[in-house]
Amino acid sequence: MKQFAEWLSTTFLSVFIQNHNSWVIPTIQSVHIVGIGVVLGSALMISLRILEFAGMDQTLRQTADRFSPWLTGGLCVLLATGILMIIGEPVRELVTFSFWLKMFFVAISTLIAAIFQITLRKHERRWEETLVHSSSIKGLAILTFLIWACIIVLGRLIAYDHVWGSWSPATKA
Amino acid sequence: MDIAAFLKFLEGSGLANRIRESLFLFPLIEATHVIGLALVFGTIAIIDLRLLGVASTGRPFHRMASDILKWTWAAFALTAITGTLMFITNASVYFHNFFFRTKMLLLVLTGINMLVFELTAGRTIHHWDTAAAAPRTGKAVAVVSLAMWISIIFMGRLIGFTTTRAAVVTPSPTSVDFDDFLQGTPSAPAVPPPSK
Repeated sequence: MKQFAEWLSTTFLSVFIQNHNSWVIPTIQSVHIVGIGVVLGSALMISLRILEFAGMDQTLRQTADRFSPWLTGGLCVLLATGILMIIGEPVRELVTFSFWLKMFFVAISTLIAAIFQITLRKHERRWEETLVHSSSIKGLAILTFLIWACIIVLGRLIAYDHVWGSWSPATKA
Repeated sequence: MDIAAFLKFLEGSGLANRIRESLFLFPLIEATHVIGLALVFGTIAIIDLRLLGVASTGRPFHRMASDILKWTWAAFALTAITGTLMFITNASVYFHNFFFRTKMLLLVLTGINMLVFELTAGRTIHHWDTAAAAPRTGKAVAVVSLAMWISIIFMGRLIGFTTTRAAVVTPSPTSVDFDDFLQGTPSAPAVPPPSK
């Protein structure tokens, strides 16, 4: 991985970002945070609807239809800006414990979001009438939101990977 | 007490010392700040897009405002608290930072923008509550709000790039030049990396 990161840092786009890093990297990171806002805001509204704390004038399907395109769109922005950040600073990103743990959680939360979307469309009545009221689904809504929050924390910890001590490959190098 | 003395007082406080000395506290406070600001921006954007007639056009505005804005305020409180905690660790540096000052100015302007809404379109909500979009003043406030909050995010990120995080002062070898680094002796002082 270290070798791949070092190779990536010699590619054209990476060199361009490194040479203009005074404004390119802060800009990409800021767009990334705007995307985080869209995703977390959307995830919050869907979770709150399942928990019956907001959007009770809307069905679950209406809430999902309103917010999941923004959640998906936001995730695409995050993917694009995330890839640019990796290309711009491969070693800083890839040779960290925080990054890989973050990717693990991203995979889980994206999977949960996708399963929710698909099953809601397939079994709409069951979701609206029984599932949304079940305590395990409510628990899952809280858990999913907490996973998104963990992803944000881990994203920030990429810059502070030394907090993991010997778990961080960066401190071994 | 003048401002410089006040900033020094903040930096010297027990709380500021505690945060600076900890390996985890500053990163975790910063991460919590990001969670808070993501929720502030995310929920405000939902309201602004409703005002503009872009999304949630079928829901009464007052219903959305009462549903969402309490979460915005809770998230704002979280962001303000974590922001203050980061500020006191290096108060005099942040205070003189251009991007910090611009960010604070923008925050005041978003407050004024909110006031403008309350005095204009906010007074006639019962007329346009179920309409697809707010009247022109409401739309203008929404555009200004989105632009300012996005700018605030950019300013916040730039603060991290233009200030060095306050380091716990460790006595460093007095004469270290480049040759010493090449030979690997003596070792460089342990200073946390700049917060990016």
